[in-house]
Amino acid sequence: MINRRHLLAGAGAVTAAAGLGMPVVKAQAKPRVVVIGGGPGGATAAKYIAKDSQGAIDVVLVEPRETFVTCFHSNLYLGGFKNFDEITHRYDKLSSAYGIRHVRQWANAIDRDKREVVLGDGSRIGYDRLVVSPGIDLRYDSVPGWGKEHEETMPHAWLAGPQTQLLRKQLDGVKDGGVIVMIAPPNPYRCPPGPYERVSMMAHQLKTTSRTKAKIIVLDPKETFSKQGLFQQGWERHYPGMVEWLGPKVHDGIKSVDPRTMTVTTGFETYKDCALVNVIPAQRAGKIAVDAGLANASGFCPINPESMASTQDPNIYVLGDASIAGDMPKSGFSANSQAKVAAMMIRGDLVKARTFPARYANTCWSLIAPDDTVKVGGRYEPKPDKITASETFVSKTDETADYRKQVQAENMGWYDGIIADMFS
Amino acid sequence: MGQRVGPKTGKAGAALSLALLVLCGPVQASSDAKASPKGDAAFGEYLSGTCVTCHQVSGKSAGGIPPIVAWPEDQFIAVMNAYRSKDRENQVMRTIAAALNDEEIAALAAYFGGLILQPDTKK
Repeated sequence: MINRRHLLAGAGAVTAAAGLGMPVVKAQAKPRVVVIGGGPGGATAAKYIAKDSQGAIDVVLVEPRETFVTCFHSNLYLGGFKNFDEITHRYDKLSSAYGIRHVRQWANAIDRDKREVVLGDGSRIGYDRLVVSPGIDLRYDSVPGWGKEHEETMPHAWLAGPQTQLLRKQLDGVKDGGVIVMIAPPNPYRCPPGPYERVSMMAHQLKTTSRTKAKIIVLDPKETFSKQGLFQQGWERHYPGMVEWLGPKVHDGIKSVDPRTMTVTTGFETYKDCALVNVIPAQRAGKIAVDAGLANASGFCPINPESMASTQDPNIYVLGDASIAGDMPKSGFSANSQAKVAAMMIRGDLVKARTFPARYANTCWSLIAPDDTVKVGGRYEPKPDKITASETFVSKTDETADYRKQVQAENMGWYDGIIADMFS
Repeated sequence: MGQRVGPKTGKAGAALSLALLVLCGPVQASSDAKASPKGDAAFGEYLSGTCVTCHQVSGKSAGGIPPIVAWPEDQFIAVMNAYRSKDRENQVMRTIAAALNDEEIAALAAYFGGLILQPDTKK
């Protein structure tokens, strides 16, 4: 297993991870897994491979940031249910408890022939198996008139971090009677119920600050959306007159936006002088996955349902939002579940660990109003053509207030659970 | 017997989980829970991947997610059986339990039953 690639990679990693005390020329007698991306897919995969291989596999996490802001529960920050620190988490323990080398750089490219990841500083790090979990990239050309240069004026807030804080700041500035327009994304996208939970949380924030004459117009390119009946019932119940959802037949298409005048034009109507425009554009797999040839024409990456291995390259596993995971939604829970399957398969592959047939699970909780939470979820298994739902559930419209409150308690507990599972 | 956690030892953090746990009161108390052979804890550790997305492996209780560490194995099995048979309420747990056979539930019971409640979770 000792070859030039590993020696070179060892040197690069030490430079990057400065001070971890690894010798520059370390004979790499053990296999190495490199993980690109420190979200629910990547962080979970890195942790489980390192934890369960007990030192038999060298695990390197390539993630430029020191902390991770979760997209899940970022709507609760918008709604005032959590502060920003509560959705921000450090990677420290992955190194201190599991010996993972956290390389604080961007992964710029994947050299599949040489099995190397090219880092931001030009150095390279070799891998035996690679986990690619970059999340989504936004398609900045998908909404006419809107582009990356306008994301400060009309934020997307679909990549959690400063954008999330910006959206909250803009929301706080909306005057009573102001018009908020959300442009919802087309399928497939990260977090199917997310836009509608966000509408709920924005409406809650407006309501609790006596701005009930403000209005949120949702312009949706989709005919239907996740948990639609539950959300629409909730909006009627908690925020009467404040939310208007318009499907494509009603708005007749989003023709253009003008960030300069804060105008949104549809086939039927022009919304001028909007107080806030939240543009959630179309999405695709993170650029590095697309550039490496791991995606198909859909912009996302096909995988083997039994292992999460890329159908394009058996040495690479693609997790989370970047993957085409069949019936599983693009969610943090899904990515975490997929990561455990991939981690097991990689250990089986590299160190002959026991493997079992893949099982996947997901649940997405959505907060509509204080103590009024709904959920959707399911269990999934690999079938030859795709990961397939074997049983699913969704909340009902006639649930009691006590039950919904209990579901919210579950939601909060799940968050702490998945964070512990990823980072502790 | 493993250490019982939850309503007896939990404080504020466990209060919400009480609602879930009290539902299993009668199940816990029942004496007709089948005696099962000792489960395969290593297999249980693999299966536990699904559980620990919500239930913390440290045994810490958070929100409405009760701790499931260090339970007596027969109790763990009885509770999971109650979800599997849809006698006990909770859509997530019913869905998860439906996919598990007796051997798998016993394996999970052995794995979680063998874990130690970590001291810093008892604050």
